Amino acid sequence: MRARDVVVQNRYGIHARPAALLVKTATRFSSEILLEKNGVKVNAKSIMGLLTIEGNHGASLRILAKGPDAAEAIQALAELFEQKFFED
Amino acid sequence: MWRTAESPQITVADFFAAGRESLQMDWEANEEKAVGREISEVALNRPGLALAGFRRYFAYRRVQVLGLAETTYLASLPAAERLRRFRIFRGVPAVVFSRNRHMPAYARKVAAELRIPVMRTQLVTGHFMNAATVLLQNLTSPRIRVAGTMVEINGVGVLLEGEPGIGKSEIALALIKRGHSLVADDTTILTRDSTGIIHGSAVEITREHMEIRGLGIIHVPRLFGVSSMRGSMRLDMIIRMSKPLHDEDIDRTGLDTASRNVLGMEVPLVTVPVAAGRDLTNVVEVAALNQRLKQMGHDSARELDERLKAMLARKD
Repeated sequence: MRARDVVVQNRYGIHARPAALLVKTATRFSSEILLEKNGVKVNAKSIMGLLTIEGNHGASLRILAKGPDAAEAIQALAELFEQKFFED
Repeated sequence: MWRTAESPQITVADFFAAGRESLQMDWEANEEKAVGREISEVALNRPGLALAGFRRYFAYRRVQVLGLAETTYLASLPAAERLRRFRIFRGVPAVVFSRNRHMPAYARKVAAELRIPVMRTQLVTGHFMNAATVLLQNLTSPRIRVAGTMVEINGVGVLLEGEPGIGKSEIALALIKRGHSLVADDTTILTRDSTGIIHGSAVEITREHMEIRGLGIIHVPRLFGVSSMRGSMRLDMIIRMSKPLHDEDIDRTGLDTASRNVLGMEVPLVTVPVAAGRDLTNVVEVAALNQRLKQMGHDSARELDERLKAMLARKD
């Protein structure tokens, strides 16, 4: 299991569009990918799951991935956080 | 993908066939001249002014309607003058007498000489003008023939489209069994009325029938009752069934709305990927209900997103 900590940097946090973007990106990879906040884990390939994680602006999250392309998956998802989901 | 719309040309024979019952029309003379005789300006004209002698503007390309005013006026003229005045109708598509009046002798003589189709209607002139104008507009409204099966789901008109064999008819059949109605199987005629609303209907000859692979052609209302068919239905949305898309191409939130231009009007378009084990009937049914919700002013995806943003903002 690989992991990386990220911070939600866009102003509105993980609402529907960022969630959809995360799901679209995550489903490109075969690895199991999770997002964790305060011990709560949700599947990064599930839009309804991501909407429940309460990823407000400034929240600290951890991306977890297990599988053959785990490193690439984490890199791709972390980049979305870095890019503020192309929002602000 | 869809071929361009056409505004069909109509003939006097088309007009008579379509309006015979609703406009209560009958032939007075020269029925045989109606076939192939184009109504080049799709409108009606009351030729009072022209009959009275004003010829500079005479809408001779329109169907001419003679009511009580015109016939009474002509009757007031000397016999030779009536013939002369009636000859202004040379080249008009057709003449209609209202109030179920048979044409007078002078008119019959001129109509035979000019070979103009003449009809009469039981309606009074004003009522006929209104009803015939609507009929003419409907007959010539822009139309397009598309490959797709149209159904009515809880009052929502849905055109199902997708490649042959993808299961449009099977889904329509399953929807009929759930109490919804078929409008057209496989081929749908879409028309735009004068208010900009798009209507779908079946091609007359194959109406009420559908083809189910392995079964052949079935007659829908005989199998499922009269409520299983609808003659014509407003088009509210298009559901496009597609081969499984790459996951990246699927709209997962419903926030991104697509539409298709149909005869100049934008119609909401939803693309549903077809995958093994998916109950598409359910998906199509819910898509129609969701569209109805949107028409009522509720966009569930947007509302959830707004709530989510408000919640996230409070935590920030």
